[in-house]
Amino acid sequence: MTWKTKSTAAPDATTILRGLVSKKRVPLGSEVYNRILETLYDEAAALDERRIDDWIAMIAQDIIYQAPIRLTRTGPNRDRDVMRTMFHFDENYESLMMRSGRLQKSAWAEDPPSRCRRFVTNVRIGECATPGEYEVVSYLFLERSRGDSPDNERTTAERRDIWRDVDGEYKLARREIIVDQSVLGMSNFAVFL
Amino acid sequence: MLQKSKLALRDGTSLDDLIMRDSNEVSLRVMTDEELYKLEMEKIFAKTWLLLGHESEIPETGDFIVRDMAEDNVIVARGPDGDVHVSLNVCPHRGMRVCLGEAGNKRVHQCIYHGWAFRPNGDFIGAPVEREKMHGNDVDKKTLGLKKARVHLYGGLIFATWDVDGPSFDEFLGDSKYYMDQLFCRTDSGLELLGPPQRFVLPCNWKVPGEQSGSDGFHTLTLHRSLMEGGVMGGTAESIYDQAPGMYGVDISCKQGHSLRCLEAEKTFKMFADVPFEGKSTRERLELLTPPGITKEMIPELFKNLSEDQVNQLATIPPQVGGLFPNVLIAFIFAPRTDGGSSGALTLHTYMPKGPDRVEFTNYIFAEKDAPEQMKRDMLQNSIWNTGTSGVIEQDDADVWPVIMKNARGAVSKGVTLKYKALHGHERPEGWVGEGLLYPGFTKDDTQWNWWLAYYDLMDAV
Repeated sequence: MTWKTKSTAAPDATTILRGLVSKKRVPLGSEVYNRILETLYDEAAALDERRIDDWIAMIAQDIIYQAPIRLTRTGPNRDRDVMRTMFHFDENYESLMMRSGRLQKSAWAEDPPSRCRRFVTNVRIGECATPGEYEVVSYLFLERSRGDSPDNERTTAERRDIWRDVDGEYKLARREIIVDQSVLGMSNFAVFL
Repeated sequence: MLQKSKLALRDGTSLDDLIMRDSNEVSLRVMTDEELYKLEMEKIFAKTWLLLGHESEIPETGDFIVRDMAEDNVIVARGPDGDVHVSLNVCPHRGMRVCLGEAGNKRVHQCIYHGWAFRPNGDFIGAPVEREKMHGNDVDKKTLGLKKARVHLYGGLIFATWDVDGPSFDEFLGDSKYYMDQLFCRTDSGLELLGPPQRFVLPCNWKVPGEQSGSDGFHTLTLHRSLMEGGVMGGTAESIYDQAPGMYGVDISCKQGHSLRCLEAEKTFKMFADVPFEGKSTRERLELLTPPGITKEMIPELFKNLSEDQVNQLATIPPQVGGLFPNVLIAFIFAPRTDGGSSGALTLHTYMPKGPDRVEFTNYIFAEKDAPEQMKRDMLQNSIWNTGTSGVIEQDDADVWPVIMKNARGAVSKGVTLKYKALHGHERPEGWVGEGLLYPGFTKDDTQWNWWLAYYDLMDAV
């Protein structure tokens, strides 16, 4: 038996990688830029130090947290390589809470825990249409040491975030993690990116 | 007495020293031995049927995906004839990959090195500067196509084998077909792949996840105890081993090495424990709790596409997890979540060898094509949450396997044996309809041992 179907895996469902969309840049060195950069550093520290509750506290309740897969393409579609039909992460606030809750239980993938360093660079910020919301694009380089292996697992990604000013603190409202590998070299994503 | 295998490694170790059929043990050495790995590539992966994807990935003429059959890269393409073709992605001119993308649409695949060109079915079209006959002076073009694999579509799943004259796909499935049909051939429109697969590489031999795909139910109680701690399956953190949720059912397998664990939902998951199934007919049971991925609207389709006995099994003790030998894991699971959602998760994995100490885990996530969009969305999220790269179940598996692999390298450790001595033995439960090797009760080692016997058979074959 055969049938024809318009598959969601078909090429037209892909889009082009595009970083900062906003035209209203928040300049390097400005107060807002500095505070958001500081927030990104604090976030990386919370995750590296496995203070998962501190990380959850930095997240807005309407968060969308996704990591679309990358595909190697050629020809006219060569730049359409971010596949937003399939993800490594496809999370909302509840699912992130469940993941963090599991880490307190028998989550062997992180017990013993990995030793991670999250290097956050190339931070570019723009104002969103909604006042108090900022589009934040950053590069992430994650080094992950596991068990007694002298070879770190690592991954690189661009993160396209929206951070929202809530009573003087920035909360993560949207994160799209664009990994660079079509075939991940990391054994699992039991850690957050 | 069992007939001894003629297969021996260069140091004199025979297949019987590695797969010990008298004592139901397997030497840990099988996970690291390079010579054995090369033989596996010839005798298993260049011979048997391998899963490459789903035809919903390539609906239109010229659509293609590029996949692996172990370390052999292949183009899977739909030709103008409407058929799916699988051809080796190696240019017969100088050995370059003809197709460098992972997916797309092309009527002509032209090698970027010297320009030899091929049709979606692998046929050779020609080389540039036709008048100079750069494909050879007296060479027939018909002989220059890409090497073609034999293809079979099963429930839209694309399988291929290099063994053109070998067993048919139905012979490959054997007695497991009756049960597999309940998952893959049950609705009018069939399954749909929700997006390109997740792909990641683990530093371990393909047989480490492979033997687990032979329906290792027992590991769930310990490795996946967070499912019980989180309240998804029956029991609590304290009562996991007393209650042993998800352990009692009927495991089925066959001499080809495939297997499935059939489990009653009410005895497996806390949220289904009080569903009043008692004394209900098949149709009433389906109305109360549809199998994973199925909507109430699809129930009449089940009766149309399956036999009454098959639907009855799907309604009472549906296949949940299992595998196809050598390297496919099947998880068509209820997968209820701690937030009460239970949209189900339909996933298949392949464990593709990439050398003796590397395996690619490819995670295909499905829904029934006619499922409502919101259900597909929920199933995608549920599948990603439970399986594959970030799945809270399988991230623990991915953490264990490389450690087993490390152990297998030790001069002393490699002499340790994997033990499959907890055997139930074939027993037909009362009133059971399907064929195959049947193991009712607590899940034991039988199905995984059958996986190794299937491995032995292919390795032993001349």
